[in-house]
Amino acid sequence: MADHDNPAGERARAGDDPEAGSDRGLSPAETLRMIRQQQEAARDATEPDGRLLFGVWGLAWLVGYLAMWTSARDTGTPERWAGWVLAGCIVGAMAFTIVHSITRTAGTRGASARIGALYGWTWFLAFTTFGVLIGAMGDAGAPPEVMAIAANGVACLIVGIMYIAGGLLFDENRMSAVGAWMLVTAALAAFAGMPNTYLVMAVAGGGGFLAMVVVEQGIRARRRSTGAVAATPGGGRDA
Amino acid sequence: MPDELDPVIHAPARLRVVASLAALGRGDEVAFPKLRKLLDMTAGNLSTHLRKLEDAGYVRVTKTHEGRMPATYLALTETGRTAFADYQAALMDLLKGVQG
Repeated sequence: MADHDNPAGERARAGDDPEAGSDRGLSPAETLRMIRQQQEAARDATEPDGRLLFGVWGLAWLVGYLAMWTSARDTGTPERWAGWVLAGCIVGAMAFTIVHSITRTAGTRGASARIGALYGWTWFLAFTTFGVLIGAMGDAGAPPEVMAIAANGVACLIVGIMYIAGGLLFDENRMSAVGAWMLVTAALAAFAGMPNTYLVMAVAGGGGFLAMVVVEQGIRARRRSTGAVAATPGGGRDA
Repeated sequence: MPDELDPVIHAPARLRVVASLAALGRGDEVAFPKLRKLLDMTAGNLSTHLRKLEDAGYVRVTKTHEGRMPATYLALTETGRTAFADYQAALMDLLKGVQG
């Protein structure tokens, strides 16, 4: 927005000041458009950007699980370096998510902030438990193929359920849809066998996140281009 | 014919304040410096508009302390949310009148 308020506020009536002239000058359509732009700016300043988060997690899964798949193709089990690549990708995506969410929501408080914090902690607790479970299975002598099915399946299960829950909490149906897709991915990965279970994780899991970047971007672009008329009941006839 | 547009909200600067606060979730508040930066207003100008909105019962101002620093949080009241919804509905009526 190009308008800049001055201390004289609404009393200003300088001819070239868009803010002053707009008091009576803006048409209803322009005013509705201004409202929409202002609310989009407000959301950008206070809520995490879904495109960034989906994009970062999509890349992390794609790169990490492709590394696992590539290294497991020869010997049947992933090599140590691939495990580190995957771990690095996941930790990097986690760090980005935490920093981005905290930066965007700083300076706000209330119900959303409380729910968001609890939701973040639930992720942390769930994946801590995940690590303990997988570790215990390894200690109990589970073979690599069983470990792979459990690790990939349970990871997708947690992500799927958390995304569905997040969709309900934040009233974001698209988030729930990703969660449902992750549950499908869990089933696909479980039956893909070694080493293709990792390919399923990379393509269906990582690809699912990346597809959401395109969806989110499309929704934004459409919201912007259709203008205020789209908000009128009955749609934008004769804009 | 739509009612006269709410003069408290209709001033562009206050409309931007109300639109921004309405974008927050119900029960959420935003700190004064964050709102000021978002709107690109001076502190004095924003304060003036917030006082008018508070007087109308549209905005709730909460003064608190974070550590030793005083902090001010702003939120739209239910009255404010209703007034903003009515204002948008009135604009849409005007728009339909122009088009129809």
